[in-house]
Amino acid sequence: MTEPALSGRTVVITGAGDGVGRGIALACGGAGAHVVVMARRENGAETVALVEERGGTGAWVRGDVTVAADVERAVAAAVGAGGGLDAMIHNATSRRSSEPVRLEEVGAEVWDDHAAVSLRGAYHCARAALPALRDRKGTFILMTSPAGMEGSATLPLYGVVKAALRGFAKSLAREWAPFGATVNLVSPLAQTPAMTNAIREDPALADRLAARVPMGRVGDPESDVGPVVVFLAGGGAGYVTGQTLPVDGGRFMTL
Amino acid sequence: MLAGRSIIITGGSRGIGAELALGLRDAGATVAVADGPYDSREDARRAFSEVAAENGAVDAIVHALLDPDALVPAPLADTSEAAWDERGEAVLRTALWCTQAAYDLFGDRGGQLVLVTPTIGLTGGAGLVPYATAIEGMRALAKSAARQWGARGIALNCVAPPVELVGSVTGPDVAAPALGRLPDARGDVAPVVAMLVAGAFVTGTTIVVDGGMVMAP
Repeated sequence: MTEPALSGRTVVITGAGDGVGRGIALACGGAGAHVVVMARRENGAETVALVEERGGTGAWVRGDVTVAADVERAVAAAVGAGGGLDAMIHNATSRRSSEPVRLEEVGAEVWDDHAAVSLRGAYHCARAALPALRDRKGTFILMTSPAGMEGSATLPLYGVVKAALRGFAKSLAREWAPFGATVNLVSPLAQTPAMTNAIREDPALADRLAARVPMGRVGDPESDVGPVVVFLAGGGAGYVTGQTLPVDGGRFMTL
Repeated sequence: MLAGRSIIITGGSRGIGAELALGLRDAGATVAVADGPYDSREDARRAFSEVAAENGAVDAIVHALLDPDALVPAPLADTSEAAWDERGEAVLRTALWCTQAAYDLFGDRGGQLVLVTPTIGLTGGAGLVPYATAIEGMRALAKSAARQWGARGIALNCVAPPVELVGSVTGPDVAAPALGRLPDARGDVAPVVAMLVAGAFVTGTTIVVDGGMVMAP
């Protein structure tokens, strides 16, 4: 039997209490990684329990990515458990990510909420993880979205921060390349609690979404998105950096 | 080409903003400079309204408020949270306030907003993580606003010159300019801005004006 792809590796995933973050955590755990789940709420512990059900190991670090010390604690937990850190995965977004908004009605507070989690969160993750990632020639993976690449008529601020993360990642990829550390983005389309709620309110949304996906369905966080993150976090992706990998059934092809 | 058109250019008193202002005047426009800093939508709206009170209805706003001092390269690991904000998030916030103020100013008449977004956002640049973050955010801001405000006759586009035109830094060595030299802001970039201001049927896009370096998209 071949070794699991992430055997002996340790990953930190922000916003892994549910949705895409949880799916990535389960896939990484199932692939043999020790998974540090960073989440503000108790659902982080549920994610760890599900990782353990799949035969993996993990720990929940309660924390908020907008607080540098919280991110540092998550990295310390990973290094303490596995002797190092192989992948930092920044998935957390503002709770307001899926609230439709008109740009002319956006106030400073709403903007700051988006920026704090996505952008300042990425900054905190990068700074906290760099020493450990440099030691292991590890990787930093961030989540982006078609909303960032083509704009969004309903979620403009979400689009702004998701695009901003692409500028962030490409620059950091150049900056960290001399250390052998890589930085990439994944642009997923997957079922999330927010999407499930939206479909409950508007049942026709499911068909509209599926109609825009050449593969005809919205992906699953664990079985569709997770394996691509596992690949990026594993040993075979060391020469991939600065890239955006859409994992969306062909939804966005205009890159 | 732009005779009778009234344009506001943010950051127009120095650097690339000043060069673009000259180029737009060359094209016949009435150009007013609004230099900021703008820490709120209200700040920007007030400045834009003052121009409108003096020059009449404004047809276009060119956002070129790019502080050359934000372009001092530094590793992200050595960047304090205050510097992260100043060089990154604040640049993006200011673009948001100016975009909203443009919406307020254009009202039902519509108008053109052009954001100057150096190609460092597309290519990435070591030592310039906060800045590239802001620039890519600005490009998506233009796209989303273009989708929401198109029905009001508001078009938003980005014009992307090499970062060398904005500050005394060098972008990544992607490729030599196919046309043999870096562009000149007044002579080469301003005419592309002018084409957009004149009312091209173009919105939500980025026009790279770098003489053929990145060739993106």
